[in-house]
Amino acid sequence: MFPGLQNLWQRLFKPPRQLVAFPEVFEHFQNLLQDHQQIMEIIADLGQKSGGDYVFDRKYLLDTVNELHSLLLRLVKGLNLISGNRYVELYAALDRILLPMEAELRGRLTLPEEWPYVVRFKEAPLDLPELVGGKAEALMEISQRLHLPVPDGFVVTTRAYRRFLDHNQVEGRIHSLLDNWASAKLDTMQVSRQIQYALLAGVVPQEVAREIRREAQARPFWAVRSSAFGEDEELSFAGLHESILQVPAAGVLEAVKKVWASLYSPRALSYRREMGLLGEEAAMAVLCQEVVASLASGVAHSLDLEAPESGGLVIYAYPGLGRMVMDGRADLDRFVVGRHRPFPIKTQRIAIKEHYRRVAAAGGEKEELVRPEDRARPTLAEEEIQNLAHCSRVLERYFKRPQETEWALDEHGQIWILQSRRLTSPQPMEVPDICESCSAYPVLIKDQGEVAHAGVGAGPVFLVSSNEDLGRFPEGAVLVTRYTAPWLAPAVPRAVAIIAEKGSPAGHLATIAREFRVPTLVGVDNAEALLPAGEDVTVDTHNRLIYRGRVAELLRYEFIQSTTFEDAPEFRLLRRLLKRIAPLNLTDPQDSNFTPAGCLSVHDVIRFVHEKAVQELMDLPRFLKRFKEARVCTLVSKVPIGLKIWDLGGGVDPAARCAQVTVDQIRSLPLQAIWAGVTLPGVWSTEPVAVDFKGMMASLTRTLSGGLGTPSYMGINLAVVTETYLNLHLKLGYHYNLIDVRMDIDPHHNHIYFRFVGGVTDLTRRSRRARLLADILSKYHFKVDIKGDLVLARVLHLPQEEMRLRLIALGQLIGFTRQLDMQLKSDEDVGHFLEVFVQRLEPTEGSPSLQGGKNGTE
Amino acid sequence: MAQNKLKILILDDEPIVCKRLKPSLEKQGFEVDTFTRSFEALQAVQNTKYDIIITDLKMEGMDGMRFLQEAKKLHPSSEIIVITGFATMETAKESFKKGVFDFIAKPFNLSEIQRVVMRAEAKIVGTRG
Repeated sequence: MFPGLQNLWQRLFKPPRQLVAFPEVFEHFQNLLQDHQQIMEIIADLGQKSGGDYVFDRKYLLDTVNELHSLLLRLVKGLNLISGNRYVELYAALDRILLPMEAELRGRLTLPEEWPYVVRFKEAPLDLPELVGGKAEALMEISQRLHLPVPDGFVVTTRAYRRFLDHNQVEGRIHSLLDNWASAKLDTMQVSRQIQYALLAGVVPQEVAREIRREAQARPFWAVRSSAFGEDEELSFAGLHESILQVPAAGVLEAVKKVWASLYSPRALSYRREMGLLGEEAAMAVLCQEVVASLASGVAHSLDLEAPESGGLVIYAYPGLGRMVMDGRADLDRFVVGRHRPFPIKTQRIAIKEHYRRVAAAGGEKEELVRPEDRARPTLAEEEIQNLAHCSRVLERYFKRPQETEWALDEHGQIWILQSRRLTSPQPMEVPDICESCSAYPVLIKDQGEVAHAGVGAGPVFLVSSNEDLGRFPEGAVLVTRYTAPWLAPAVPRAVAIIAEKGSPAGHLATIAREFRVPTLVGVDNAEALLPAGEDVTVDTHNRLIYRGRVAELLRYEFIQSTTFEDAPEFRLLRRLLKRIAPLNLTDPQDSNFTPAGCLSVHDVIRFVHEKAVQELMDLPRFLKRFKEARVCTLVSKVPIGLKIWDLGGGVDPAARCAQVTVDQIRSLPLQAIWAGVTLPGVWSTEPVAVDFKGMMASLTRTLSGGLGTPSYMGINLAVVTETYLNLHLKLGYHYNLIDVRMDIDPHHNHIYFRFVGGVTDLTRRSRRARLLADILSKYHFKVDIKGDLVLARVLHLPQEEMRLRLIALGQLIGFTRQLDMQLKSDEDVGHFLEVFVQRLEPTEGSPSLQGGKNGTE
Repeated sequence: MAQNKLKILILDDEPIVCKRLKPSLEKQGFEVDTFTRSFEALQAVQNTKYDIIITDLKMEGMDGMRFLQEAKKLHPSSEIIVITGFATMETAKESFKKGVFDFIAKPFNLSEIQRVVMRAEAKIVGTRG
């Protein structure tokens, strides 16, 4: 319904809501802020735990989710108490978010109804191996995170498999056959044959078949591969399940069934029994990929198993399709390449090739004779070898273990990654006495900093302090920086380790480092001075040590550990839980999806509750009714905006007479700081600013049409304060500015949220101003988002003094922006005003950390 | 050098705990054996004297409290560090009564346990020397 009409309807026919008395609102609001804070801390904490420095188990995750659940219930209840039950739909949102998490924690393979039967490879969500299976998950990470080329295609999900079982009602039969097998009433062959028969005879339900056919139409031929759930670094299932190559589009559906049935092949059954997995739920996704018409194919080993200490990697290659390689039917070219750029070829052994296989014109494969002049020719050119070596190392760095990578080279010279898995050595590699070996290397830094992501990495030190450095950041270097600013993100995938002097393991850069699995230490004092640029160092976050040189023994030691922590089930589970907890989708309260139904994560819920609670307090008509009971005073200041102050406790000198408060009587730290900025000489200029004609016309039009937003907000400037909290609403001229600050002694509680929207003049000018604000705020290390003329900025977790300096700057910014939009005539002006503003600020602030442009913090 | 290494036993039914602790302690210069089942760990302490034992409390079969009592009986000089997700004052008190060296609540980070192990090492080396 049209919103205005709906309001009218509600007003006419609904009994008026009981206005909750002020003292109660105050109490609920305080509790709500506390719960909000506590949930924020849990979210940050969980993010940090996913970095690998902490040892935790499944029980910890269970406890934490339970705690979140009770806090969220209390939070939602609090908002409903304040608002007179206006947001009861939030309870449904909580169920939607929390119930799947709780099922997941019970260890059930939960495949929610809304999950798709088929997903396209490039669009599929990451970190859902239970949906796409282990093999597809790994390939998707390679494609989406590492941006290495992987043949495109789609995945028939485990949900399609489940639907198929339901439709044919075979699940019960499978279980009873397996029981008979377990109790030795049937032998492996019998059980396998009967289950496979039941599956192959099944009918694929229409809704699943339709989607598979639709996707399969896109290409004439497909490679149809198994991607079982539970198949990962620890349990590779390598070669146990079916993979069918060169499947024509019309045959994909049958091929998918064959792959499903291969879950119960005799070998797969025996393997699962041996690994003690019979009780686990089996589910099979199927990966359908386009076929690469390869000129050459082969396997790359990121480590030379014949000489692990030689610092070489090995590439095996053969002309044509990969079957000759996989079946081990031919003698292959073998290139040993240095593991570091420029990847020099150390030795090569060229095989004599007789036959090769290629794609036949009508589909399928065809074996052909190699032309005599090509028989002794190397399969790969030098550039292709180096390209492959690079891919091999990128994969090894991400998966943290030596890799065995199947690849193909197409007619355009493009290399495709077909599969990558852990390279296991035929004989156990020798275990060095790790403590003794490491003690031979000089230690540069010891016991410093906090671990944002755990791991070991070695490479040359590269200091990054500007955008230009960022562009030159080499592959495989150790990134050393003063601050963990978000703008460093592009270098993260190329870094082997990150060392920052400042920053928090809960920050944005830490999150990115975790996504790319880059070992990261933050808060390492003097790192820039202690780590010699260009020289090799080895970073070990597990023991918080940085060695001079490449500690080869340590790198090898890491390689032979069983699983990386990133692939441990607990960490995978935590990452999946975090996807329902941490992302913030609701950023803009003006958006149409800023509703309980729009809440997709825990973070969304608390953002929504916080915003609505503040709004509820700020809702003017209701607020005015509460005025009588609230302790609201007017600030007497030389800056005449008639600021109303509502003190929730400790924000104003108790000796102050209630009606009026002087600036010295403000006890609220954030308000003190902002006001110090507003009242600095020259900041609040009261002279009218020259308005050029176009700007003035626009301004007039807007005034006549009533401006934007709720007219009742006009001219009301409000500050809700406590000693360490400030929620400031300003309506100055035509723009609307909201600043929410928390400024405790513990930096972890602290934040500044800044929101700025509207203003006189046309949209071009307003967005120009938005950009200027964004530039200025970025200089102060705010994280800034612009949406049209809306500016959202935030800065988190800074100590009080740093907060104070930024608030003084914001105070100046308030004065500065008051009439700014009138003055910004062209895009060039943005740069000019930025300069003017920064110059004007410089004499007034004392912290060197506020200067120097590019350094950011989170 | 190799003969002087202190031996550590880790018992926790969650394999992740063993997997994370072993390499980090090996790098500190200890010899580390890990177990996820208490009866297997008990067999190990019957055959070998471990200088430091790190054990969880709540486990299937024989729980950690009984295991550590048995271990102490066999080798009174072994230092025992308890790690548990059910950290209450009661369990902490009880463990200390049983002569436990220290008590760490899960989740903990690696440097936390490294520090406790180093203190235990200092005590052992001190009493020996």
